[in-house]
Amino acid sequence: MPAPFPIPQNPAKHTLFEDLQGFSVALITTAIGLTIIAQLGFITGQTAGLALVISYLTGYSFSWVFWLINIPFYALAWFRMGKEFTIKSALCVTALSILVAVIPKWMSFDTLNPVFGTIAFGILTGYGLLGTFRHKGSLGGLGVVALYVQDTYGIRAGIVQLCFDAVLFTVAFFLFEPSRVLYSLLGAVILNGVIAFNHRRDRYIAS
Amino acid sequence: MQTADPKADTHSLLEDAQGFIFGTAMCAFALVMLRDLGLVTGQTAGLALLISYMFKLPFGWVFFAVNLPFYWFGYKRMGLKFVLKTFACVALISVFSEVFPHFVSFETLNPVFGAIMLGFMTGAGLMAIFRHGGSLGGIGILALYLQDATKFKAGYVQLAFDACLFAVAAFILPLPQVLYSLLGAVVVNLVIAINHRRDRYIAM
Repeated sequence: MPAPFPIPQNPAKHTLFEDLQGFSVALITTAIGLTIIAQLGFITGQTAGLALVISYLTGYSFSWVFWLINIPFYALAWFRMGKEFTIKSALCVTALSILVAVIPKWMSFDTLNPVFGTIAFGILTGYGLLGTFRHKGSLGGLGVVALYVQDTYGIRAGIVQLCFDAVLFTVAFFLFEPSRVLYSLLGAVILNGVIAFNHRRDRYIAS
Repeated sequence: MQTADPKADTHSLLEDAQGFIFGTAMCAFALVMLRDLGLVTGQTAGLALLISYMFKLPFGWVFFAVNLPFYWFGYKRMGLKFVLKTFACVALISVFSEVFPHFVSFETLNPVFGAIMLGFMTGAGLMAIFRHGGSLGGIGILALYLQDATKFKAGYVQLAFDACLFAVAAFILPLPQVLYSLLGAVVVNLVIAINHRRDRYIAM
């Protein structure tokens, strides 16, 4: 089949154009997943989850809360992960915040079954995060702290993130109806399943 | 959770299963948007959509039926494993696309946003299906078969099929719907053209 445009020669490296399309697809898909659970009133893990809890409690928009929450983490990221990673993270977080604010103007649901919505969130956001990671981006926040704790205190980064989510979901149990938290747990399990199955540097080898 | 990491170059059965469920669910969700906006797309899915719009038939059944003749070519050209995977994927999409509209419907859906979105989602879904060695059957298989038999390029067969499909659509759909459909089809194919690379995603 004829190639519609020149194919980059180096399989190990994404071009700037490829990164841009990767982030566009990944962040829009992530934003749709978040739009779905925000409409259902569910939460998720990590800083996005914390931002959802705060936005439900205070009535402030998720986008602003999520954007503001991530600011302190950039300082740590700047020293620990370098300039490029920090700027990429800030751009991804900002783009995601804007998308989540804008998408409800273009798309709103008439019916949305909570089980279906939860699964759709897990799949869409899991895929979006996978794309973000494969293009060496990040949604900032906790991951950087977790890596810092691992390097300084020897506690595995994955455990740190799990502890954060455990605390977040426990607090949520006291604040919201249990059914909302159980749906949220299902979504978080599916999201992490998509990433656990598919995020393998030995299979997707470009960076 | 996996018990042990399978080798990098081969997918386990469980990995293929999650890949196919992910891929078909993505495509089926995109089809909900597509039908809500009254759009069409290319290939057998597009043909099935046109038939279902024209004769008011359920898309899932039409899509399943339209693909039936192609499995024979698939078996001769690509082997049994490919045909079984393709059959499973087509069946999953047929079921999902009939069931999903009960669970999700839109109050507002901007057609430009919707067309781009369904392009992203279908692109993601198709790529996952291809990377796990499946397909959504139909014209692609016939095109490869014809290429072997007549030296007529497979890509041109698919392009000619889509050209006929959109020509018919231009007569039965309003003009904006045809243009939005084209936008969606361009986005799907761009996502796949940029990202579907065997030299980057190396597992089979």
